[in-house]
Amino acid sequence: MRRPRGAALAIALTGVLAVVGCAKDGGGTSTSGEGAGGEGAAGCQLADPPPAPDEVEVSTPETADVDGSELRVGLAYDIGGRGDASFNDAAAAGLDRAEEEFGLGDVRELTAEANESEDAKVSRLRQLADEGFSPIIGVGFAYADAFETVAADYPDTDFALVDAAVEDADNITPLLFAEHEGSFLAGVAAAYKSDNCHVGFVGGVETPLIQKFEAGFLEGARAAAPDIQIENTYLTPAGDITGFQDPAKGNEATRAQIDAGADVVYHAAGASGKGVFEAAKAGDALAIGVDSDQYNQETVAESKDVIITSMLKRVDVAVFNYLAAVAEDDLTDFPEVFDLSVDGVDYSTSGGMVDDIADVLDGYKAQIIAGDIEVPSSPTG
Amino acid sequence: MTSPVPEEGTGRDAGVPSDTAAVPAVRLSGITKRFPGVVANADVHLSVRAGEVHALCGENGAGKSTLMKILYGMQQPDEGTIEVEGRAVVFRSPADAIDAGVGMVHQHFMLADNLTVLENVLLGAEKLHGIGRRARAKVAELARRAGLTVDLSLLVEELGVADRQRVEILKVLYRGARIVILDEPTAVLVPQEVDELFATLREMRADGYTFLFISHKLDEVRAIADSVTVIRRGTTVGTADPRTVTSRQLAEMMVGSELPSPETRVSSVTDVEVLRVEGLTLRSEGSERPLLDSIDLTVRAGEIVGIAGVEGNGQVELVEAVMGMRRAHAGTVRLSGVDLTTKGTMARREAGIGYVPEDRTRHGLLLDEPLWSNRILGFQSRRPVSSGAWLSIEGARSDTARIVEQFDVRTPGIDVAAGALSGGNQQKLIVGRELSGDPVLLIASHPTRGVDVGAQAGIWEHIKTARAQGLAVLLVSADLDELIGLSDTIRVIYGGRLVADADPRSVTPEELGAAMTGAADVGSGRGAADQSTPGTDDGEAGQSTRGGDR
Amino acid sequence: MGSIRAKLLPPALAIAFAVLLCAVTLLFSGSSPLEALGAMVGSLGRGTTAVDVVNTATSYYIVALAAALGFQMNLLNIGIEGQYRLAACVAAIVGGAVTLPFGLGVVVTMLAAAATGAAWVGIAALLKVYRGVSEVISTIMLNALSFGVIAYLISSDMFGELRGNNIGTPYLPESNRVPGFSFGSSGTVFGMVLVAAALGVGYWVLMNRTRFGFELRASGKSPTAAAAGGVNAKKMILVTLLISGAVAGLAGLPELLGRDHTFSLNFPAGYGFTGLAVALLGRNNPVGIAFGALLWAFLDKSRLALDNVGVPSEIVTIMQGSIVLSVVVAYELVRRVELRAEQRRVGGQNPPGSGEPRPVSAGGAV
Repeated sequence: MRRPRGAALAIALTGVLAVVGCAKDGGGTSTSGEGAGGEGAAGCQLADPPPAPDEVEVSTPETADVDGSELRVGLAYDIGGRGDASFNDAAAAGLDRAEEEFGLGDVRELTAEANESEDAKVSRLRQLADEGFSPIIGVGFAYADAFETVAADYPDTDFALVDAAVEDADNITPLLFAEHEGSFLAGVAAAYKSDNCHVGFVGGVETPLIQKFEAGFLEGARAAAPDIQIENTYLTPAGDITGFQDPAKGNEATRAQIDAGADVVYHAAGASGKGVFEAAKAGDALAIGVDSDQYNQETVAESKDVIITSMLKRVDVAVFNYLAAVAEDDLTDFPEVFDLSVDGVDYSTSGGMVDDIADVLDGYKAQIIAGDIEVPSSPTG
Repeated sequence: MTSPVPEEGTGRDAGVPSDTAAVPAVRLSGITKRFPGVVANADVHLSVRAGEVHALCGENGAGKSTLMKILYGMQQPDEGTIEVEGRAVVFRSPADAIDAGVGMVHQHFMLADNLTVLENVLLGAEKLHGIGRRARAKVAELARRAGLTVDLSLLVEELGVADRQRVEILKVLYRGARIVILDEPTAVLVPQEVDELFATLREMRADGYTFLFISHKLDEVRAIADSVTVIRRGTTVGTADPRTVTSRQLAEMMVGSELPSPETRVSSVTDVEVLRVEGLTLRSEGSERPLLDSIDLTVRAGEIVGIAGVEGNGQVELVEAVMGMRRAHAGTVRLSGVDLTTKGTMARREAGIGYVPEDRTRHGLLLDEPLWSNRILGFQSRRPVSSGAWLSIEGARSDTARIVEQFDVRTPGIDVAAGALSGGNQQKLIVGRELSGDPVLLIASHPTRGVDVGAQAGIWEHIKTARAQGLAVLLVSADLDELIGLSDTIRVIYGGRLVADADPRSVTPEELGAAMTGAADVGSGRGAADQSTPGTDDGEAGQSTRGGDR
Repeated sequence: MGSIRAKLLPPALAIAFAVLLCAVTLLFSGSSPLEALGAMVGSLGRGTTAVDVVNTATSYYIVALAAALGFQMNLLNIGIEGQYRLAACVAAIVGGAVTLPFGLGVVVTMLAAAATGAAWVGIAALLKVYRGVSEVISTIMLNALSFGVIAYLISSDMFGELRGNNIGTPYLPESNRVPGFSFGSSGTVFGMVLVAAALGVGYWVLMNRTRFGFELRASGKSPTAAAAGGVNAKKMILVTLLISGAVAGLAGLPELLGRDHTFSLNFPAGYGFTGLAVALLGRNNPVGIAFGALLWAFLDKSRLALDNVGVPSEIVTIMQGSIVLSVVVAYELVRRVELRAEQRRVGGQNPPGSGEPRPVSAGGAV
């Protein structure tokens, strides 16, 4: 699954690279054919990249001797449920993998309705808890208040909640992600792949969660190319969830960004991303996917050749790791945040279009993991 | 009683039915048709000789139209048989009737405005002679023979009412009808046009066509028909020879009782001005042609001022402008000296105007609501149906009961929906309501249109009584008998202007009809002069007593 | 008008038809209709479902009253959606900021909500009265706009505060909350249910006992007759829409004041459209709407039970849709039958010929 990372690069080389970058800057405006990651097509005055790191060790739980047959897992999806080709599906994938690798006693999956009120969420969780399901996993921060309410009434049940933390609740395990860190790498990739030194971000709904994606992306792009121009569009304001479900809007927004000069567009817009890819393909631009490895996703297969990479948010890993930990009855080492260091977020390499800058990306990644770069989680400026 | 008589006398000219012993063109035997709760036709017998004009008379709702719909295949009888030219037939649809040679000209025309006359005639009958030269020649031939002079290449929207009727007749003839049903053909025509229609019918009768002529205008019937069958309460009362029967006798056959008359006998006109309209002008949107052009009008206490005119000449606009439903562009409206020009409808009603609208189902009633709720409409700001912001249901109910009693509204109760009442009873309710609360002015638009004779008499009586008590009435009507009979003064409206005055004591319907078409200047040179015409308008032709016979 | 039968028969027929339709659909999709029905009804006895139904119905009832006010005069206030959400948002901000004794804070909060709802629809009302803009179009536009305004208001730069990945207004102080009626483990019924009931009574009185209500209904049943009867159409449109908006503004409060105490990204949406359906179902009658709201809420809550037994919960959407459609058809059918019967009754009083009202262009009759 993970490809071996390239060997370490000497610090001494960084200066050379910078020089090359500058040199290319002069004649790089007319280059094209960036699709295959054409050598050094970047149009930006690039900052010095960090050194490529040594092979990073990632810990994946050993599950050979884990037995999950005692577990009765309740999974409460957000709107869309299994089959949404987005984070619900990712959670389902983690569940399926756990089922496959160490077996689960019983599974019940329930799905939220669009626009439902708080009591519906509470009832859903109560129903699962009443029937003795434990652990119960909720997908999406919308469940936060409901979890707080229900978990207090069922102290012996294990709860886990994707994308939200509940204070002072011992039996709720938050499955949080450092979306901003992954998005930082997407920003770096975008800066490196942009001919015009002009990139774009398309957010689905302007919520604090999506703003984390935006923040990381902006930071990453600026870190790689301080002079870069960045287009920034949200499809709908907070509260209007249609922004995650409207490819037409995504297409329109992306076209506008391309018209403004952007040539690499990163989206965090759920199903609207399909429109982003289509617009990028039509406009001869590049795109960066989100959540799962969209290069390999069926629904957007027609535009896969413009998807240079995807920011991976490994809800599946988090769910799988959580189930494994519960099966072993040991949550002590469970990560507080799924970040780059535990592969909770990452970038994908399918299609091979970022292979040429893999060292750069891995360099930044190492710096973030090491704490040398602090990525803000909300947009600045 | 006066009535538009298109031709002096009742002369039977050409085309006297040749052989009365021959097989009848149409014979209906024992026709019965029931609708839920109503027997529309009961045991109807009708025999129409070939080549005659056979009139079918009866008051509104007597069952004439249902019977004709049965003959034209639009409805099937529950019992009884139809024979056409001696053969028993069963019509499942109008197409069957047309195949058998029976055609119908409806009261409401069914023409496509944006097509030419020829196209309208051919529409739906393309199979007969195609749509080319041959069809055109055929239509032209039919038109010539029937004396229906109309330019085939004109668009129907450019035609007047009479011409449209000719097109309808042509359509029927083109489809091969030899027996033609005419459903109240004169209702939309002015007297001169009626003459022309009758001339056409006579010519066609000579050519061997048979007509079934539905009407309740008895003088017309006597002028054109060879025989007349009277229908009352769904069944045939008998057949008469119009040469020997009088209009009065016919009418009594129709209503089965002594006839009412609209005539107002004693003048009760006072000097007290109630309504004074000056220079009232209303322009249509996007057009310079005014709908109302400097109307000056005065109605005094105890006076009924009749407005005569062919529909669409500004009557509706005049009434609505006086009622405040339309804002006039210029001019003033005063009621008993109080300027109401800028006031809304409610304020005008509160000032003492009662309003019997032209279309009671659209403007007069809430059909779904019970009678007592309809009593509130237009009076919602006044006792006894409301007090302040609150309705007084009890007051409304008891006053509705009073109206039902006093105005003879035939209903099982006041909780019945207004839509369930017959037209006449609906109208009695409205008149009763509008005469409540002591109005000083009543605006009555076609107050007896489409109501049965009994209700008509009652409504006339109530208007006369109120007038005698000093009510001022502005009466708009297309019924010239009603206008002449009720009014103290008649003013003719044409093209949005009051073009002539007439004295109802001396004017004839023909003279009035002529003035209404705008062709002749004036209806009367004999008596209108004594009516001092209020105000002066732009002084064009037609003002006041321009005289002359036709 | 009409008898009890005319009022109850149509919805009963419609519900029966919808249940039948759904049963057939379920059979085709391979589920047992009986099991599904059992799960739906059974869920009422479990946990807080019954209370949840009442609570949700409270909101549905209020939005439906707002919709019915418009319906009564053929105004389609599609904008209820935007009005109640924006109003709830403003109410949350106001309620979160003021503390007053004796429950006055609650009153102020409710007034703020009503005023916001009225102001928001007021834009559409003014556009309609003075510019002839269809209220359907303008209120749809205002719905879209309301999302933006809400997002702006609850952003952390304005009145909102960030809570994890959620964002919302500060929690209402204890004094501005409306306590409920607790049924222990079965849940707590919102206190706002009383306000909803009062609104229902007020609606009935307004419609049936006041001049304004009469003019409103008259305008709806026949604008032409209303105009002839002295009803000022512009004023009626303006005032009716404003009242409708004010009522709509209260619809978000049961949840805001009774349970959530904050307006966050999770604040429920879609009630406005539900309200239109419920008003249709309840035939603009305050009692009918109450039943409609309860039925609708019950169907909504039964989704969970169906999901739980593996029946696709979309069946609920099918049922709701078919109930609305068939109720409209059923009412029309029954209305015609009733009118026919009434005409027969009236006809019995009179000679047959006069039973059939028919407009006739008359000339010089007899």
